[in-house]
Amino acid sequence: MLAAAVSRMLSDITPKPATSRVLVASCDYSNDATFEIKKCDLYRLEDGPPVTAMLTREDGLKYYRMMQTIRRMELKADQLYKQKFIRGFCHLCDGQEACYVGLEAGINPSDHIITSYRAHGFCYTRGLSVRSILAELTGRRSGCAKGKGGSMHMYTKNFYGGNGIVGAQVPLGAGIALACKYKENKEVCLTIYGDGAANQGQISEAYNMAAVWNLPCIFICENNRYGMGTSVERAAASTEYYKRGNFLPGLKVDGMDVLCVREATKFAADYCRSGKGPILMELQTYRYHGHSMSDPGVSYRTREEIQNVRSKSDPIMLLRDKMVNNKLASVEELKGIDVEVRQSIDEAAQFATTDPEPSLEDLGQHIYSSNPPFEIRGVNQCIKFKSVS
Amino acid sequence: MNLFQAVTSALDNSLAKDPTAVIFGEDVAFGGVFRCTVGLRDKYGKDRVFNTPLCEQGIVGFGIGIAVTGATAIAEIQFADYIFPAFDQIVNEAAKYRYRSGDLFNCGSLTIRSPWGCVGHGALYHSQSPEAFFAHCPGIKVVVPRSPFQAKGLLLSCIEDKNPCIFFEPKILYRAAVEQVPIEPYNIPLSQAEVIQEGSDVTLVAWGTQVHVIREVASMAQEKLGVSCEVIDLRTILPWDVDTVCKSVVKTGRLLVSHEAPLTGGFASEISSTVQEECFLNLEAPISRVCGYDTPFPHIFEPFYIPDKWKCYDALRKMINY
Repeated sequence: MLAAAVSRMLSDITPKPATSRVLVASCDYSNDATFEIKKCDLYRLEDGPPVTAMLTREDGLKYYRMMQTIRRMELKADQLYKQKFIRGFCHLCDGQEACYVGLEAGINPSDHIITSYRAHGFCYTRGLSVRSILAELTGRRSGCAKGKGGSMHMYTKNFYGGNGIVGAQVPLGAGIALACKYKENKEVCLTIYGDGAANQGQISEAYNMAAVWNLPCIFICENNRYGMGTSVERAAASTEYYKRGNFLPGLKVDGMDVLCVREATKFAADYCRSGKGPILMELQTYRYHGHSMSDPGVSYRTREEIQNVRSKSDPIMLLRDKMVNNKLASVEELKGIDVEVRQSIDEAAQFATTDPEPSLEDLGQHIYSSNPPFEIRGVNQCIKFKSVS
Repeated sequence: MNLFQAVTSALDNSLAKDPTAVIFGEDVAFGGVFRCTVGLRDKYGKDRVFNTPLCEQGIVGFGIGIAVTGATAIAEIQFADYIFPAFDQIVNEAAKYRYRSGDLFNCGSLTIRSPWGCVGHGALYHSQSPEAFFAHCPGIKVVVPRSPFQAKGLLLSCIEDKNPCIFFEPKILYRAAVEQVPIEPYNIPLSQAEVIQEGSDVTLVAWGTQVHVIREVASMAQEKLGVSCEVIDLRTILPWDVDTVCKSVVKTGRLLVSHEAPLTGGFASEISSTVQEECFLNLEAPISRVCGYDTPFPHIFEPFYIPDKWKCYDALRKMINY
């Protein structure tokens, strides 16, 4: 009681450095709390994920920081694009943070993820630093793909991108799952695609192959209700994406609640790891930005709709409320995290705008793997590029 | 009108004249991502201008089906880079329909429109020029306009042509190119190249955006080297106008072909090969091809990748001094 009073007094008077505040106030927090989460609709499944989830303070702070980092990073990318530091195409994922953090929380780092072009969130959760992501967006040599991939093509260990062509990543994901099964390492592959891509033919082909060969593949449909500018009702004969696997079992998950996503992912991963075969998850989520930076995002949906989602289901807000109301953290502590995150993003952006661009020789590199390197044919005889691996 | 308005005008004329014409593709209903179909749905109804889901193979297959029954199908593939899922349908179904049915059936009333070519910030998947892949396929026609006036005439010809046509629209010119374009329909014949500028020393051949580049190179050559260039816009890639190009090379003795697509296997190689067959003894210098490098279309390196006027000028100079 006394400690709490002291901490309140201190934090009211002057802004203290974060460490001292935590020291004084830590005994005021609980270690963990249990929450009720939304029950997932099931398809071809007897049981589903649990309806309660336990969240430790440590995990809560981690998820909060990660989601806030992704949010700030995307907003910074928006700013850099408008300042023309980032060019080309940029597909932002703010609003969908709970999906990325929740999915990562439900699997191991040794599992595999492959996704579409709206990939910045996964890049971060899979371990890439904000610096390398922003530097890749601005096309600099410290970018994760050496500046050659840009927004849609970022990769790291066990993360296979970042794919520009809609739906093309899904058969690839089934292939990665086959490799996991073949190597008998109990790893799974999360193969993520959007509501627009769900209408591509190759998705059905991948479902069939995964089911026939019993592959440890979790197909995940990131349903943010709009395929570019087309709402799901106008594009799909059935908007129950979790049932679209037909013979595949499916789960419908609230993608705005990080705990719901985490529990569903754990459930799905256990399902695959136990050898029961592929499974389909639909994450119901929302993106605040338009499809890409050239889409204002309001010609096919109302500002009221966006505002509504922001005020009622924003994933960061939901987690913050959960944590504060259950004494897992204080508002000030979370605000402190906000400030730190903002600072680190600003630093990363500073780096990303000052790092040098890749050298011209890189134009001809990494086309083939060949030893010795061979010359790239082209038009300018003064510059000879060599394709090296 | 600019290029996208010229396309809208052509589509408007088609839908007005031909009651069976329908336009479909991703996002065409609100006007399309490049505004090529603005106003058409309101004017002609949602039965005739409608959206498809995100499925290129489905779009083209569906279009072939419509065309086989005799209705006019105008399909849009949102970017030429996305045409590859539909490649099988185009090459194996559309191109061979008339042949394999012994002329009993055909899908001639199919036209596929698609934005094409580099745009400054397109990177790997919004900048490709895949005309060479389709040039290798007998049974279809491939057309690329250089300007709004050309676009409308050529598109109307493609729609009316009794063969399946692919019409690539240079996306960088959608707003940038502005010209006087008649509102009434008119046709520009297919398989006819156009000599834009007459000359006597070198023949320059290109299509689409690149025509404007070589035009500039021609004036540079005239000014700095006193060289008179004949500039030809090929317009139809398949079947291409061999006579016009060869006649020109017979006159000048030198040929330079330029395109954004990669060098190896690009359409310049076909032109080069045919011209050396027909005009071997008339050639004063080896045929020059100024094209993109044999790499995927780069994001950050685009200014270095594209065959700009300096690269073309350099190649032209080497040819003159051969």
